[in-house]
Amino acid sequence: MTACEVAGERLELLPQRAAYWPAARTVFVADFHLGKAASFRHAGIALPRGTTEDNLARLEAALAGRAVEEVVFLGDFLHSAEGRAAGTLAAFARWRAARPALAMTLVRGNHDDRAGDPPADWGFRCVNPGEARGPFALVHEPAPVRGGYALAGHIHPAVRLSERGGPSVRLPCFWFGARVGVLPSFGAFTGSALVRPRPGDQVFVLADGEVLRVA
Amino acid sequence: MIARLEAWFAASGWRAFPFQREVWEAYLAEESGLVHSATGTGKTLAAFLGPVAEALAEGGDGHPPLRVLWITPMRALAGDTVRSLEKALAGTGLAWTVGLRTGDTPAAERARQARRPPAALVTTPESLALALSQADARERLAGVRAVIVDEWHELLGSKRGVQVELALARLRRWNPRLRTWGLSATLGNLDEALDRLLAGAPGRVVRGVADKPVVIDTLIPEDVERFPWAGHLGLVMLPDVVRALEGSRSTLVFTNTRSQAETWYQAILEAKPEWAGIVALHHGSLDADARRWVEEGLKAGRLKAVVATSSLDLGVDFSPVERVLQVGSPKGVARLLQRAGRSGHAPGQASRVTCVPAHALEFVEAAAARRAAQAGKIESRRPVEKPLDLLTQHLVTIAVGEGFLAPELREEVTATRAFRDLADDEWRWALDFVTRGGESLKAYPEYRRVEEVDGWHVVRDAAIARRHRMSVGTIVSDASIDVRFLNGRRLGHVEESFIAWLSPGDAFVFGGHVVELVRVADMTALVRPAKPGSATVPRWQGGRSPLSSELAEGIRELLEAHAEGRADEPELRAVARLLALQRRWSRIPRRGELLVEQCETREGHHAFFYPFEGRHVHVGLSALLAWRIARTRAASFSLAFNDYGFELVSRERFELLPLLKAGLLSPENLLDDVLASLNAAELSKRQFREIARVAGLVFQGYPGQPKSAKQVQATSGLIYEVFARWDAGNPLLAQAEREVLERELEYSRLAQALRRMAASPVVLRQVARPTPFAFPLLVARLREKLSSEKLADRVRRMQLEFDRAADEAAGEDAQAELFG
Repeated sequence: MTACEVAGERLELLPQRAAYWPAARTVFVADFHLGKAASFRHAGIALPRGTTEDNLARLEAALAGRAVEEVVFLGDFLHSAEGRAAGTLAAFARWRAARPALAMTLVRGNHDDRAGDPPADWGFRCVNPGEARGPFALVHEPAPVRGGYALAGHIHPAVRLSERGGPSVRLPCFWFGARVGVLPSFGAFTGSALVRPRPGDQVFVLADGEVLRVA
Repeated sequence: MIARLEAWFAASGWRAFPFQREVWEAYLAEESGLVHSATGTGKTLAAFLGPVAEALAEGGDGHPPLRVLWITPMRALAGDTVRSLEKALAGTGLAWTVGLRTGDTPAAERARQARRPPAALVTTPESLALALSQADARERLAGVRAVIVDEWHELLGSKRGVQVELALARLRRWNPRLRTWGLSATLGNLDEALDRLLAGAPGRVVRGVADKPVVIDTLIPEDVERFPWAGHLGLVMLPDVVRALEGSRSTLVFTNTRSQAETWYQAILEAKPEWAGIVALHHGSLDADARRWVEEGLKAGRLKAVVATSSLDLGVDFSPVERVLQVGSPKGVARLLQRAGRSGHAPGQASRVTCVPAHALEFVEAAAARRAAQAGKIESRRPVEKPLDLLTQHLVTIAVGEGFLAPELREEVTATRAFRDLADDEWRWALDFVTRGGESLKAYPEYRRVEEVDGWHVVRDAAIARRHRMSVGTIVSDASIDVRFLNGRRLGHVEESFIAWLSPGDAFVFGGHVVELVRVADMTALVRPAKPGSATVPRWQGGRSPLSSELAEGIRELLEAHAEGRADEPELRAVARLLALQRRWSRIPRRGELLVEQCETREGHHAFFYPFEGRHVHVGLSALLAWRIARTRAASFSLAFNDYGFELVSRERFELLPLLKAGLLSPENLLDDVLASLNAAELSKRQFREIARVAGLVFQGYPGQPKSAKQVQATSGLIYEVFARWDAGNPLLAQAEREVLERELEYSRLAQALRRMAASPVVLRQVARPTPFAFPLLVARLREKLSSEKLADRVRRMQLEFDRAADEAAGEDAQAELFG
């Protein structure tokens, strides 16, 4: 179990690429990108099946054993309008149906603007960025927010680590700066972008199914 | 018929070479074949005038449909080829038109060609494939009688060559009497080159003008005692190079990498400021206009010297060039001869290439290259076998064009040499992949690419057709980033991966300017002139081609001859002292020996191996040996390699003798051990970039594309991971592994080297200090580590590099831009 303190609150950083806030019984997930593989297939790019099942299994694992009451998606829940394939939506709907009591919130991100909100019967509350929760301001794109600590996604952060004189590795990470915290992208079929943390930031990488503090 | 040609030659004051006459007569006798010789020796006229003579004999109709296709590997050469063909037509009085069709051809010209096709068309493999994706391809191309493939040796070893094979198979189906002629530099495997080109049909190999004399020598500095034992830039030779440039009217200075070219260009101008304007730089990243200016200047004899990379290996004749300098290792005999051939085109002149060693052992290499060239030991180019990525691309190309019936197209594809062994399941897979997205996707109704309508395979979706046409080809470069000054002036382009390593404020040398990166936006790197001070030299890809087998063997031979007192070459005399030291401290290995040296330094325990098999093989061998040792005990190694040998360093001493006896060099389980030792997955992932692009899994996008296009862009690395995890049996993954083994590791050569080493005596020497052979390895800056530890354990030791830039907000904005 890797935990850290952000904006005075304790967050548990889960190897499933999500963060759990025990005080509010809330799991944060950024950049789920549901239907991304389907949108590629729609465009004639042959991608194998399996990414949606993996996303759902990991989400399930992130909730398992915790008294989670709410999941907050920090933007880019759906990948694109073309990705709203029947099979993909049905898979999520099945999962949702088995978890009816769980509150679901989507903080809309840039992909959601074009992909649209999830189907109404999934019971998502969809809000625009900036919603306050305790000390946190829930957003998609990482930028400082007045009066709150911004929790964001969007950039799919990763860092490069190197051993003296050795090769370097690039690993997805949680990155908590002074005023903005960024979660790794959750989606199984998502890339990452290198970020450059500054001294004083807290950085945790995901490697071999563990969350490891590197700064 | 040939009389008309001879008359034109006579009127121009030339005489046809016998080989040219041979090719004309063979063409008129409906033969196909391959002509090989150095550049600038009349191959163009040999190939083109056959069709011209035929047309003249038929009455010289001025507007036949397309008759001759001229395929060239380089867009930059196409314009020159058009001009020389036009000159030949004017001279022989045949009223044909010549068209040019490359990726650069403007839309208006393309439309004109559609209305009124030229009789001869100069084009590239990619543009020809694109032509096949037109619905009326058959109508336009069925009348082609002759295909001439220029610089076939360049295409042969790549997927572009296979692309040409596939196009030829189609043209031959439309016109079974099609004649094909290849033009090539001299190769070690000319028969195979012919066989590929003609898909096994009989043909003739014609040797071009009897090889003109080539002088290969080496710049030997006066103060050779202080010559460095290691290094790659070779700037210590600057005064000698400047003197050499002074002594000739026009010189080409070839380097192995673009960064080396930049460095040398700067150094020459600093030494000779008065040469500003008559010394120029030429490499693949420079703006096309800048390159054209240099090429024109060379042709016109305006330039004293041009520092170039392989960007000037091919192409037009630069007659005024008197001499060629090769800075650093020539890497191969064919390459050295090719470069030599860029000089000495004036009548009565010999081609002359002078090696400029960058470190002491390169003197040996230069002499070995000369001896190999004199002995005619020229490298072969191995053709590509069965590239499935290209097959899927071809299927879509034809489906976008007139469409296909599967059995018919299969027959056509397997008529090529590249695909003659295509198995049933491979064909089935490729067809499924483009129609259903692969077997695992049968249940996905959203997949669309090639559709089957009454057995006829077609692409009906206009967006998919458009996207495919924009992706045709097999040349994969890193996404290229424009480099511009803030005022908008374009300097050229560099690979994205290079820019990715830089931060705003970092300085680098580009196009002869020292510039500072301001920011990257919209695939453009904005720069401004750097403040005076230190500049970082670009870490460009390329230039890492290994020593060829032929040259490596030449070096082993020459060292043996030297050790036995049988070799007296000026280069060896220059480094006699160094070789004597090597002999005194250790040994000069004989051809049949493997020399291994062990020594201790503060760093730890070093073992140096010298197989002389080229860098790629040494990368594989060093990892293999380290891995095999680490299997017997807990050990961590740091590895270094160059073209001559490799080094293993560990903290603890290890006894090599028992390990060697226990089969350290055994060829058993070689493939599995190599794959395990090299983190093959990581390498395959890199190789997958090309495959993903060719097979249409990644799309590079284009300026002004709709947002929806951006939503189906992913890096090939990500796509590789998705396949590796959820479709591990996908043949494209196996292809990536195969390509890594052959291209990156030269697996067959490695296996051969290991068999050779396993059968040869090992000479193990304990040395007190690193020998001259060891020194370049010891100081190698790029090292790899091999360790069996878990990633998580390594991460615990690793360091995060912080961004210490003061401006916090700016940093955050820059990150937001990445995914904006």
